[in-house]
Amino acid sequence: MIIEVEGLAKHYGEVKAVDGVSFSVEEGEIFGLLGPNGAGKTTLMEILCGLRRFDKGKVTVLGFDLAKDSYKVRGTIGFCPQETLLYDMLNVRENFAFSASLYSLDSKKFKERVEFSTNVLGVGEFLNRRVQKLSGGMKRRANLAASIIHDPPIVILDEPTVGFDPNVKREFWELIKTLKNHGKTVLLSTHDMYEADELCNRVAIMDKGRIVALDKPHILKTTLGGETSIQIKVKEDQTKKTLKALDKYDHIIRDNEIQIFAKNPWEIMPEVSNKLVSHGILTEKIEIVEPTLEGVFIKLTGRRLTEEYK
Amino acid sequence: MNPIIGIAIKDVKTFFRERGTLFWTIAFPVLMLLLFTAIFGREIPFNASIGIVNDDQATPLSANMTASIILGLNETKIFTVKAFENKTEALEELNATTIRAVITIPQSFTYNLTMGMPASVSLAVDETSPDIARVVRDGIKTFFSEFYKHFNPTYNEPISVIEETTVAQVRIGYKEYILPGVMCYPLLFSSMVASTGAIVYEREKGTLKKIRASPIRPLGMLFGKTLAALFQTAISILLIGFLGAVLLAPKVNWNIPLLAPIMFLGSMNGVAVGLLISCIGRSPQEASGAATTIGIVLQFFIGMYFPIEYLPEYLQQIGKVIPMTYAAQAVRDIMIRNATLSDILQPMWILIVSAIILNVVGVLLYKRWVEKE
Repeated sequence: MIIEVEGLAKHYGEVKAVDGVSFSVEEGEIFGLLGPNGAGKTTLMEILCGLRRFDKGKVTVLGFDLAKDSYKVRGTIGFCPQETLLYDMLNVRENFAFSASLYSLDSKKFKERVEFSTNVLGVGEFLNRRVQKLSGGMKRRANLAASIIHDPPIVILDEPTVGFDPNVKREFWELIKTLKNHGKTVLLSTHDMYEADELCNRVAIMDKGRIVALDKPHILKTTLGGETSIQIKVKEDQTKKTLKALDKYDHIIRDNEIQIFAKNPWEIMPEVSNKLVSHGILTEKIEIVEPTLEGVFIKLTGRRLTEEYK
Repeated sequence: MNPIIGIAIKDVKTFFRERGTLFWTIAFPVLMLLLFTAIFGREIPFNASIGIVNDDQATPLSANMTASIILGLNETKIFTVKAFENKTEALEELNATTIRAVITIPQSFTYNLTMGMPASVSLAVDETSPDIARVVRDGIKTFFSEFYKHFNPTYNEPISVIEETTVAQVRIGYKEYILPGVMCYPLLFSSMVASTGAIVYEREKGTLKKIRASPIRPLGMLFGKTLAALFQTAISILLIGFLGAVLLAPKVNWNIPLLAPIMFLGSMNGVAVGLLISCIGRSPQEASGAATTIGIVLQFFIGMYFPIEYLPEYLQQIGKVIPMTYAAQAVRDIMIRNATLSDILQPMWILIVSAIILNVVGVLLYKRWVEKE
């Protein structure tokens, strides 16, 4: 195990930001922390990076005890937080040089790493451009490259794609997969279930500072995510009419979305469609939905991932 | 709401909610008001110490005469007179600028005065501070032109004041006086503002997180910041010195081996003060407001532009506890009075001790702040 966390706790007065969390991360995997804002993901990551002290528990990174060898641990981690931590008045290469200096990189290794960033992370086209003149996507790419310029075995990404449009998000996902292919162990936090599903080998679902479930995404979905269902979205004034038309099916309703459960939803899909048409109901959306991590989270906590804590 | 009004309201609210910024914004003009009133709002601009040597001690009358002169000079409130046994001792203090002038009463002065013959005194003035030299010279000449009237109404010509060669051999002009002071400007501003800004900016921008997540220790980061601030200060000093030399062509002594350590120690003091401010300031605006205000106010206390004797006595005492005062004085001594290493050892030690104390306090505060984060 490259990271081992046992009974980790961090309290701010009465608030338990991290409440007795235990997990381990295997070398070369992408490990996700999935949870809504305020679940304790960022605090947990900042503890692992040595940015925050913890009250209880034990953290071992590559065999180093974080409490005793915090500075050795820092050298093994590349931390990329949500915000872009680059200096606007410097160009990208100068930012890399500064980051490299923090880890005492020699010039030969620095050249190699700049080459890696250019070839693999695609920063070559704006390497000599000032950060203030970069687009948002370029900045995030440069930010990621700067945070791993010292070639750390572990990369910690805190909400790496928050605020991205879908295309840029997909590009960034590819970058993260590339890191894994280059042998990095990636620990990422997200509240995007698709991101966790797409990228992570294993996912820990966090809620109120605790890990409520941890496994491979497909296992979590199979065991906790429920069945495949048909999801129908109609206009609000047609909800009652729709419920009447689909009365014979096993269903639940949330807002104006109706979810129909069946052993084999593909078989009953045409019948359901015909019923809706014959009752003159116009649907906004009708689709077969596989179990999702969102479903897992709802099942475990009773809330959506996008809901804020009160 | 109109977006322009909305922006204005938001900015005003933000300004009033940043209590630190608010404090420094208000503190600055208030401090300047008090300071200028204290310095210039007085009838007597300053009090200078002068020495008197009496070579005319032949009779009890002549001793009495000297006592009257000392009493009369003290009563002007412009001068504080110290009597010396011999002239060498008095000139030594003049060289050290602890007194600003030496009046020598020659033999037969009392006799000449009482007999109605021309009488004169000799005067040596510290010319390294042109403003003070002018006031002291004029004050002493005026005093002696009036003194005889009270002493002997039948005496009908003023006592002449014969000027001797002065300390620096040449009369110092204002440009020679001001240049060393202005060269100390970066000690206050560049060093202090650079170190304040460096840390607060990193904190505000979030980049401090990046540095703290790396294996560099807090002390290492502070050394890096200090180096940068020292470099910026050195560049400022060199530029000011170079431009001053080219544009003004002052007749000063460019003793680099002595100036360099004084400037270095002065900068270390400035950097440390900046560090203290950065640990206390909660936002860049607040820290920069504090650093600028403190810098602007301090420049009046340390004798950068005018001698601290211009300040009221209580403000002079404040000036004396500010390390930069000793840096400015040492720089001026080196450049104007051709001071040697032994002459500047005292200010050097003061600067070393204060730099150590301020830096240790700064580092401890910074470490505490990092741990609190």
